[in-house]
Amino acid sequence: MTASNDVVIRTDALVKDYGSIRALDGVDIEVRRGEVFGFLGPNGAGKSTMIRVLLDQLRPTAGHAEVLGETPREGGPGLRARIGYLPGELAMSGRATSQELLEHQAGLRGGAGRDRIAPLAERFGLELSRPVRALSKGNRQKVGVLQAFMHRPELLILDEPTSGLDPLLQHEFLALVREAQAGGATVFMSSHVLSEVEEIAERVAIIRQGRIVDLDEVATLRHHAGQRVTLTFAAPIDAAGFRSLPGVEDVEVEGTTVRCLLRGEPDALLKAAAAHHVVRWSAEDRELEDLFLDHYRVPAEELRADEEVTVDGR
Amino acid sequence: MVAERHEPMTTPSASGPSPSVVAPAASSTDVATSGKVLSWVLRQSRRALVLWAVAVAAVSAMYASFYTVMDGPEMSAMIEGMPEGLVAALGYDRIGTPAGYLESTVYGLLGPILLMVFGITLGARVLAGVEEDGSLELELTSGVSRRRVLVERYVALVLQLAALTVAVSVAIMVIVAGIDMEVSFGGLAAAGLGMLLFTLAVASVAFAAGAVTGRRAVGLAAGAGVGVLAFIADAFAGMLDDGRWLEALSPFSWYLMGDPLVEGVHVAGFGGLLAVSVVALAIAVTVFDRRDLGV
Repeated sequence: MTASNDVVIRTDALVKDYGSIRALDGVDIEVRRGEVFGFLGPNGAGKSTMIRVLLDQLRPTAGHAEVLGETPREGGPGLRARIGYLPGELAMSGRATSQELLEHQAGLRGGAGRDRIAPLAERFGLELSRPVRALSKGNRQKVGVLQAFMHRPELLILDEPTSGLDPLLQHEFLALVREAQAGGATVFMSSHVLSEVEEIAERVAIIRQGRIVDLDEVATLRHHAGQRVTLTFAAPIDAAGFRSLPGVEDVEVEGTTVRCLLRGEPDALLKAAAAHHVVRWSAEDRELEDLFLDHYRVPAEELRADEEVTVDGR
Repeated sequence: MVAERHEPMTTPSASGPSPSVVAPAASSTDVATSGKVLSWVLRQSRRALVLWAVAVAAVSAMYASFYTVMDGPEMSAMIEGMPEGLVAALGYDRIGTPAGYLESTVYGLLGPILLMVFGITLGARVLAGVEEDGSLELELTSGVSRRRVLVERYVALVLQLAALTVAVSVAIMVIVAGIDMEVSFGGLAAAGLGMLLFTLAVASVAFAAGAVTGRRAVGLAAGAGVGVLAFIADAFAGMLDDGRWLEALSPFSWYLMGDPLVEGVHVAGFGGLLAVSVVALAIAVTVFDRRDLGV
């Protein structure tokens, strides 16, 4: 176990039930100080429940959660003021303008971040004088991003942060996350789209039906994901020799073309291929999406109807 | 029981460039200065409040000024022709006196009904409504305690009901002075206070039911249910031969049974109304502090 000072979020066998429904089923996670941690899972897997426990909106049924060294309940408002939170669905009602809402939000944190409202609004192209309830989904999300980042919190908890932002703003958002990280902040972001976090997260946990099914470095996940290799030969060949190669799986032969999944070093595959006349080859990194899907596909029949995984996301 | 709730507060300076990371605040204390939530809610609702104040003042003034018309022989003849029970239920038995007239029109009917509608709607919306539609989430996840959010939102409810009561009272006082009705300002103040305490009690039930369940509709139903039952019980109490036990059950009776326009503040009745609000608030705070929010 890492020294407690270096752990920003820790959960221990965290369980949360809603009536008879178990939303979190023994979640163990450690998020280290200064890292960007991706929290992945399909809708309904328990991501928002987990986040709302960390913010003391929900109280755990069993187990333990600790944020910045305190339980969310003990930490209370003092702890929450050190966190920047972007809700998955930001609801805003009333006549207030973005400016008024953001100033109010700064006021609720003792004034911290008020000075950054204007520059951040300009950076994201948010018109501060318009009433929040008249804003488009994208503009609402900008308000959410601003209020989460403006007070330079130690910990950012972002629930589906890039939903609603166009690609240009997603890019700007990722830059903002990197700046926060460079300033010493820890970032915990959830998503149902892997590509959204793989660019920026060092480690990723995958949650499914309230359980963590995988937790690893993005690089390791990528290694496990492997490469999709396509080789085309001058003449039809016997695929049997390829099937037995180390690290080679899912070999398919179609005329003169051999397709396979390669995990690990390509050396053996290349040497086997070189025995023939190769006219064309390609090797593509498999999208982490594919790996993500592996986790949800097996066993497929267990997948509930409300679990949907979005693959493209871009 | 509200006053002792104030917790020590830290108020980091808002001036100067913020450090790259906010300094750790003392835990479990509010980071926001007190009144932030209250002033926010009031600012959000000022337009609706002004419209309501103008409307209730206008209606009250209009009814009060009809006294010049009603104060004649035709009215007395009409009331004589009505069944006794109905006359008592409508409070028309004393309609010939200025205090009786004001009680049966403004203080016993229009005022409390209008303020009740306002109070129940606001009571259910000011906490449960915004929790349910999600717009309270940013506030609840910031540097304010749940208890402070609840109490300041409750205070916003109290202040807005008080503002409407003042609007009604001022309108009535202007008419009373204008057409020279024989009602003391002290009596008007006492009746205004009673009306505020009654409508606040009903609104507090709506607020508490919403705070306990997180459902606006439950708050509305609880408030409206208590309000309507209070009116019905009071009306039946007047019609029955021995209706005193019904009066004892109806908060509406507690408000008017001491005849506040003539006799001033009725300590037991008004105290009972205040107790309803205090108990409702205590239940709201206790449950809201413990339960899951926004589910």
